[in-house]
Amino acid sequence: MYKPRIHVTVEPLEYYRRFLKENCRPDGRELGEFRTTTVNIGSISTADGSALVKLGNTTVICGVKAEFAVPPKDAPDKGYVVPNVDLPPLCSSRFRSGPPGEEAQVASQFIADVIENSQIIQKEDLCISSGKLAWVLYCDLICLDYDGNILDACTFALLAALKNVQLPEVCINEETALAEVNLKKKSYLNIRTHPVATSFAVFDDTLLMVDPTGEEEHLATGALTVVMDEEGRLCCLHKPGGSGLTGAKLQDCMSRAVTRHKEVKKLMDEVIKSMKPK
Amino acid sequence: MPGDHRRIRGPEESQPPQLYATDEDEAPAARDPVRLRPVYARAGLLTQAKGSAYLEAGDTKVLCAVSGPRQAEGGERGSGPAGAGGEAPAALRGRLVCEFRRAPFSGRRRRAPQGGSEERELALALQEALEPAVRLGRYPRAQLEVSALLLEDGGSALAAALTAAALALADAGVEMYDLVVGCGLGLTPGPAPIWLLDPTRLEEERAAAGLTVALMPVLNQVAGLLGSGEGGQIESWAEAVRLGLEGCQRLYPVLQQCLVRAARRRGAAAPP
Repeated sequence: MYKPRIHVTVEPLEYYRRFLKENCRPDGRELGEFRTTTVNIGSISTADGSALVKLGNTTVICGVKAEFAVPPKDAPDKGYVVPNVDLPPLCSSRFRSGPPGEEAQVASQFIADVIENSQIIQKEDLCISSGKLAWVLYCDLICLDYDGNILDACTFALLAALKNVQLPEVCINEETALAEVNLKKKSYLNIRTHPVATSFAVFDDTLLMVDPTGEEEHLATGALTVVMDEEGRLCCLHKPGGSGLTGAKLQDCMSRAVTRHKEVKKLMDEVIKSMKPK
Repeated sequence: MPGDHRRIRGPEESQPPQLYATDEDEAPAARDPVRLRPVYARAGLLTQAKGSAYLEAGDTKVLCAVSGPRQAEGGERGSGPAGAGGEAPAALRGRLVCEFRRAPFSGRRRRAPQGGSEERELALALQEALEPAVRLGRYPRAQLEVSALLLEDGGSALAAALTAAALALADAGVEMYDLVVGCGLGLTPGPAPIWLLDPTRLEEERAAAGLTVALMPVLNQVAGLLGSGEGGQIESWAEAVRLGLEGCQRLYPVLQQCLVRAARRRGAAAPP
């Protein structure tokens, strides 16, 4: 008698291959299907902008805090956007408390690259007074539940949180040369592009599946993340080693990423429209 | 921050815009001193942790997860006399390792992600309050890890974290003598101070003294007490503790309901 529970513990790869032969996965999804995505915007009132994204079981919360800083010496009319991805022990038993581990550092650098390459915000928009005062947006992403595909969830959470950020009006008083902040008048950020990430796992060097769960990531032989914006432009491609991919397969991935972008944009627009204006 | 090469570098220092705000903060509204804010509690929501709980009291949002029991770190300790009920001797008892962490966006000012001495003090307070309730003798040479994450600080954060941690331990199936319920108090400043139950963030910032009480409701024993500030006479603090204990008792039925619902959900989801 076939006992699936014993099979999955003893021989997980064989267990997966039985499903992949039928072009589907153990949780019932097809190879190109994403898990249910939900997003909740603006729940943290102490943050200037916040968003909580759930991709199946994977849950990531992003909070944005805006502060004042002196612009960098080499770019006096630019502000800062500082991302930080945190993978605490509560999201999975493989992480220990303490300084960020390798996976968290990789994710933080990935988010920094996405922000830089996609020009989601023009850093010049964050400057208040050239050479003297600019905004710094600290984007802190915390994973609450780790079940694979952390990069997609983080990118979506970051985008939704930035769309929720409201900055107060600032003007520089000429006499005292100090900033004057009016907390009552707030305005949204100018979000120029909407980058959306789509992650794939490579199985047995040939099969590609989209949105891997934690277990699928563990069994995969390679991984790939494609970040697209709304005009079908490639913002970022993240392929950390693993099995090689042919050019044709890469093209397939990019077209899947374009479709995914439409799905995500539609979801986010719906959520933002349904929110009551503050 | 300078020197932290594991995180993306930002500016050397930054100031929050509130420092330059032109208008004053509103004073907290007058209210019934013993009102408790409505509480939303849910257990068993994280899939990767053994037990988890989320608690929302007013604006305060806390998430707590429990993992273990795991092999305890640290050397072997000598054996001693065995405890009652077939428990391990005192030296071989299990340990509770608690961590309290504030999200960088949880307060008015952004906090550095790594946390400081305040978080360590609160983690120690969590451990001291939870230990009396957990049957550590049943987990010899093992450690249970409790991590509390404060997503938003709307006042009485430690009390909410205590309650969430106890719910998470119960959800994980850890053997306990009783739940632990936490309640916060704040003393209003000024000539006629009164103790306010479950203060909001504004009330806590203006308070002359603060107190957090942890109670085991069924056994009616105080599990933990942490307070600081200029509270005045001993009678004032005794009054505060009494108010806090009443508050904890009032909160208990909500937590019972939460655990029952979580058990039902788990029962319904289990394979036949």
